[in-house]
Amino acid sequence: MEVHPGERVGLIGPNGAGKTTFFNCLLGILKPNRGIVRLDGDDIGGLRVHERARQGIGRTFQRIELFGESTVREHLLIAERVRRNDGRLWKDLVGRGRPKPDEIEACDEVLELLGLGELADEPIEHLSLGQGRLVEVGRALMTRPRVLLLDEPSSGLDRAETADLADTLRTVQALQGFAIILVEHDVELVASFTERAYVLDFGTLIAQGPTHEVLQDRAVREAYLGTEAAQP
Amino acid sequence: MIQAASFGEDLLRGILQGTPPGTVYGLIALGFVLAYKTSGVFNLAFGAQAYVSAAMYFHARNEWEWAIIPAFVLSVLVLAPAIGLVLERFIFRHLRTDSALAKLVIAIGLSVALPNLFELIVGFEPVAGRTPEGIVPDGATVFYDPFGIYAFSRNELAAIAVAVLATTALGVLFRFTALGLQMRAVVESPRMTELNGIRADRVSAFSWALSSLFAGLAGVLIAPRFNTLAAPDFFDLVVVAVAAAAVGRLVNLPRALLGGLGLGILIALVNTFLPPLAEDYPWLTPIQDNLTSAIPFVVLFGLLTLWPAIRQSKGQADPLSGVDPPPPALAALTRSATLTRATRIFAVCFFGFVGYVVLTQADPSWLFVVTQAVILATIFLSITVLTGFAGQISLCQGAFAAIGGFTVFQLFDRFEAPVLVGALAGAVLAAAVAALLSLPVLRLGGVWVAIATLAFAAFFDAVVVKLPFVGGGGTSLLQGTRVPRPVIGSWDLGDDKQFLILAIIVFVVASLAVIQIRGGTVGRTLRTLRGSEVASQSIGISPAKARVTAFAVSGFLAGLGGAMLSIHQENVNYASNFSPFAALFWLVLVVSLGTRTVEGAAFAGAGFLLMNKVIFEGAFIGWILRSPDRIPSFLPVSPKWLFVFFGLATVQFARHPEGLIEHGKRTAHRRIERTIEARAAKRGNSERTPDDEPAAGPHPEGAMPRLPCWRPKESRSPSRSSSRSTRSAWRSTRASASG
Repeated sequence: MEVHPGERVGLIGPNGAGKTTFFNCLLGILKPNRGIVRLDGDDIGGLRVHERARQGIGRTFQRIELFGESTVREHLLIAERVRRNDGRLWKDLVGRGRPKPDEIEACDEVLELLGLGELADEPIEHLSLGQGRLVEVGRALMTRPRVLLLDEPSSGLDRAETADLADTLRTVQALQGFAIILVEHDVELVASFTERAYVLDFGTLIAQGPTHEVLQDRAVREAYLGTEAAQP
Repeated sequence: MIQAASFGEDLLRGILQGTPPGTVYGLIALGFVLAYKTSGVFNLAFGAQAYVSAAMYFHARNEWEWAIIPAFVLSVLVLAPAIGLVLERFIFRHLRTDSALAKLVIAIGLSVALPNLFELIVGFEPVAGRTPEGIVPDGATVFYDPFGIYAFSRNELAAIAVAVLATTALGVLFRFTALGLQMRAVVESPRMTELNGIRADRVSAFSWALSSLFAGLAGVLIAPRFNTLAAPDFFDLVVVAVAAAAVGRLVNLPRALLGGLGLGILIALVNTFLPPLAEDYPWLTPIQDNLTSAIPFVVLFGLLTLWPAIRQSKGQADPLSGVDPPPPALAALTRSATLTRATRIFAVCFFGFVGYVVLTQADPSWLFVVTQAVILATIFLSITVLTGFAGQISLCQGAFAAIGGFTVFQLFDRFEAPVLVGALAGAVLAAAVAALLSLPVLRLGGVWVAIATLAFAAFFDAVVVKLPFVGGGGTSLLQGTRVPRPVIGSWDLGDDKQFLILAIIVFVVASLAVIQIRGGTVGRTLRTLRGSEVASQSIGISPAKARVTAFAVSGFLAGLGGAMLSIHQENVNYASNFSPFAALFWLVLVVSLGTRTVEGAAFAGAGFLLMNKVIFEGAFIGWILRSPDRIPSFLPVSPKWLFVFFGLATVQFARHPEGLIEHGKRTAHRRIERTIEARAAKRGNSERTPDDEPAAGPHPEGAMPRLPCWRPKESRSPSRSSSRSTRSAWRSTRASASG
């Protein structure tokens, strides 16, 4: 699989196809049995998860992963602080570890883009699942990724929210120029949002190409709907 | 040939000698594995349960003069399962879906509370030198020598027979019966088991009764090994048994038994072969003197840090855990700015008043106790950082504190270094040791971190303390590890009041540092790691770096506090101040009151030393009634109630991991805000004309006027009902997402 800067690629397949496992291999949570993960041509297989993230792989999760006891803005602030590599124990001890105005400004910009500005000071526990997913996206965006891995971002969102999210992502992507790999069951979103798509079935790549062609592919329809249902 | 024969004989003797103690380790390990398999609880209270049955048996036999069988029936067949049922019904049934760490903390609390509660109820007091009897007649006096090399006592043979029978019976139960399968399923996911029509409550109750019965049986079987029946010995034995249980990765019963047996034989063989070698190689002598008692801890630490299989068994996850709502937010996140200011002003006034009263009114005995409390609060801040911020349970904070104390002693004793410089050096050394220890330990994660640190604490206690360059050797430990009080210019810290001022300054500086860390990058990084390690990594956070920092800061604070404690007492007093069992109670205290705030550490320090004097000895009531003569006759009560109270208070950890103080604060804030809202609403209504009144019936919540000063945003401080509705909404969305 190859993804270029500024591109939006879909990764689809039935449950158990290995989509999330593939993401886990890209980020280094799991080690692949074979294959190489390259970023800008460099083999990053020897890097640990946090090192790959610093190299520019951002990610959201299928099963939402948020930080308890933190507000919405704090989720983005910590990502921004890590990106700047500005955290030191001695700075904390002398009182220079608190959020700086420019960090807060950068976070608020992203929050406004995602429509979360009103919720910036809200404890994360008070958010709905859909809002939580948006926070995950915002947190990943703060790392200024080169590749953004989105794992079922529409889960928990209604149609309007999903469409808004897609628009926002297009806008931010146009500004920052990163690539997006989207794992999604919502075929409508995949069709409208991605340019190319790969299809996995039980760990095997069964189709690839422009999204609208892939979605018409017989093998893909069989994998998703079963052999009989896929008959024309 | 002669040498070979002698070697073979020594080997056989070592194996036979090691078999009885090995069986004892194996028995406890079996019980430990049984408890873990059937309840999912890393039950460090297993030793306390065993102690209670052993003490009951001993008491019935000696004080009530009961025969062996009724005493056995009461202590093992009635009391032990009853304890298990009570623990399951009132505590662990409500914690099934909580984290393994929460259950471990509660088990630690119970290991402190249960022995004291039993001793208070029955009136049992451990008496030095009174060896308990076994469960077979003449168990300690009749011997059998089948090989002509080593004679087994009847008690030892009984323990071996019971261990073999129990392993077989438990193996059959788990492998061939439906009940055994249900017991394992309930541990995996009680909710899934219930969805299959099985009553998880009943199965769980049976599991607890069975494992508790086994604890009782192990207790009465191993009691004859001790000169004195005392709870700390049973706790130490559990640590040894964990090493044996780790061989079976906590789930394999025969391997746990074999692990215990192997451990016993290894110790016996080392004891057999090391002394002759030490005669030829003198450098082995200190190892021979100290290392043999520490073998189980070395084995445990080695297994945990070097055996990958252990690291991979970090714990099971309930498949339905995703439907759980997130925990409620901390009070500091939801309260208004005005209330935050009011809380801080109140705290400053309160502590200022207490400080003024102590410095102007207190007599020397009170000054001593208050100073100790302030210093302990400094040590407890180390638990705040490690457990409260980083979410790691360390059971070796006593060892870190002791490093601080011993450094002051050694630097003064050898080089006459200024003690305050020694205190700082001790803190730095403790930080370095903590950071080094964290490197292998942190790869483990979860409850294994707690167990590895416990193994380190036991190793420190058994070996390191006795080394000449630490505790000064056995002689110095007996004669006293003396540390003088310093004089800085005209500031004579030999005066108790002056030393109290120094202790307060150190505590305030340490507290401010902890508050800065909490609000800074390190604190926020640790908070994110506690929330989700994988998500933290996905934004570039290195878990190892963050946690090593937390360990180092924690070690520094503990070392500093330990040094201050030694200077205050003018002696390190290792056994009474820093032993592993004492340090266990520190954790219990801080966890009960609050691990995430400085107030929690402060109140824990006060609770540890002042509660006994102020509440249990009646000083507070005497002060209120203006005369010590008017103190009610039921006071003073036993100081053991302190251990019972705080030990049982850990039970609330699963519901309120922020601790009693933080929970109380949140409840109080909510009530205050509601009262103010209600008053404001009333005022608003009274100012309206009758035409403005809404129709009869309850006011819709949205119609209530709100005061901007108390609630800058409506969503910032939601009422309990709105918080509940949000949580239930979360629950339903998570459930649908899982479905």
